[in-house]
Amino acid sequence: MTAPALSTQALIAGYERDLPIVRGIDFAIDAGELVVVLGPNGAGKSTLVKAIAGLVPIHSGSVRLGDRDVTAVPAHEKIRQGLAFVPQTENIFTTLSIHENLLVAANILPKEARSRRIAELYTMFPDLAARPSLKAGQLSGGQRQMLAVARALVVAPSVLILDEPSAGLSPKVATEVFRTLKTINETGVTILLVEQNVKAALAIAHRGVILVDGKLRHEGPAATLASDPIVAELYLGAHRQAVNA
Amino acid sequence: MIAQALMDGLIAGAMIGLGAIGITLTYSILRFANFAHGELISWGAYLALAVSGVLGYLSSDLTSSIGPFSFGWSLPLAAVLAIVLTGVLALVSDALLFGRLRAKGGSIIIMVMASFGAALTLRSLLEFIFTSKPVYYTNALQIALPLGGGMKATPDQLLTLGLAAVLVVAIHLLLTRTAIGRSMRAVSENQQLSGIVGIDVRKVIRTVWLLGAGLACVAGIMAGLLVQIRPHMGHDLLLPLFAAAILGGIGSVPGAMLAGLIVGLSESLAVQFIGAEWRAAVAFVILVAVLLIHPKGLFGRVA
Repeated sequence: MTAPALSTQALIAGYERDLPIVRGIDFAIDAGELVVVLGPNGAGKSTLVKAIAGLVPIHSGSVRLGDRDVTAVPAHEKIRQGLAFVPQTENIFTTLSIHENLLVAANILPKEARSRRIAELYTMFPDLAARPSLKAGQLSGGQRQMLAVARALVVAPSVLILDEPSAGLSPKVATEVFRTLKTINETGVTILLVEQNVKAALAIAHRGVILVDGKLRHEGPAATLASDPIVAELYLGAHRQAVNA
Repeated sequence: MIAQALMDGLIAGAMIGLGAIGITLTYSILRFANFAHGELISWGAYLALAVSGVLGYLSSDLTSSIGPFSFGWSLPLAAVLAIVLTGVLALVSDALLFGRLRAKGGSIIIMVMASFGAALTLRSLLEFIFTSKPVYYTNALQIALPLGGGMKATPDQLLTLGLAAVLVVAIHLLLTRTAIGRSMRAVSENQQLSGIVGIDVRKVIRTVWLLGAGLACVAGIMAGLLVQIRPHMGHDLLLPLFAAAILGGIGSVPGAMLAGLIVGLSESLAVQFIGAEWRAAVAFVILVAVLLIHPKGLFGRVA
């Protein structure tokens, strides 16, 4: 049996040992899947993906990339093993040009492969190819997300994790980002996506997992989750609590 | 008189600029003001003196002056080894002190205080080993050459200016055209994201120490060649160095060099027009003025 592309086993993680935010999560994503992590604010979605990426301390449990245990692998080594991460904010180097952002990420590729891979990405993201010497800080919100995704794809990762890529974007631009992610997934890249934009995320995902209070509460195929009363209750319930508070 | 003051200012500014580049690189990447940078300058000068002395002892041919310059081949050869040794000294100080504090999540103020401690230790060590008596690379006297427009400079001074210009261009190219340079700029902006994209931040930090210390060593050798070598030479340069690094804008290599020249020229012109006793105050006034009026400096980010 083939190992899942990415999996966690009884994962407990958080910034402080006595205050875990992720409290024992088991889940797995098969190769080629696009899975969205949903949940109300404070559910631990971002902490979960940051812990997987090596940015938040893991107190117990494990993370496996394919059949390799990468729990203790530092963030800068995880990318070499095929795990790319796009944070929600500050996900590009604003003082570097578009091309330099891609070059920095390409450093870990063999020298002869760098230019070819960046050329492929310029074909995939023609907006970026138009002005490669432009400082990334001058890009619009949507263009920044595209650059962040392109930067993550430079190393042709097997698994791509994104933390709320549509945050702060207009609906039109967010739709464009989701469409791009779907296209990337169709090329065979496994994607784990954290999103608040439930409807749009489920529209492109194969499957969804729902976190509440740092635990996996519910999961299922995206098509059924979209109309699942549990999902509505989790979101609306959280909303009602917030309103009543 | 003014023309000569400008020339003197340029020469002093070149030394300040080189030292300020080291300050600006370590400040922007290590995220603290390293007050021990002055001691790297002094140690660089003394290490070159010691190695040069050994080379001269081994072969007297190496002490014969090269062309119009005041020094023999023993000094440039010693400079190469001294640059490496100063780099090693910086790495050792990081391994013993700064790296440990970083690993413990030490705040900026703790790092700065630690750098004060490191500076005192390194300076005292120099005084212990070499005493505080000034020493020189060479006793040869140089005649200043007329350059036109009322300016004069010795061959050593002109070499210093040329070398500073070459080094600034080289470092600028390193930062903008090479993989390690781009990684340094990336780490300077965002260490966490740098890790995510696969940059080994610890390796970049080691490179920055080596580069900053190497430049400090060159600045120390220049100061030793043009003025004299004393345990306090680097410490005395610290204020102009920080003034130049902040005026140039933290993280900007061309900014640090340009600002070094501005500080050097300002000091020289202050001596000419206000009085020699005000020379040291100029860097302080520039530092305070930049922080109050335009903390981003000429090209960089907020200090």
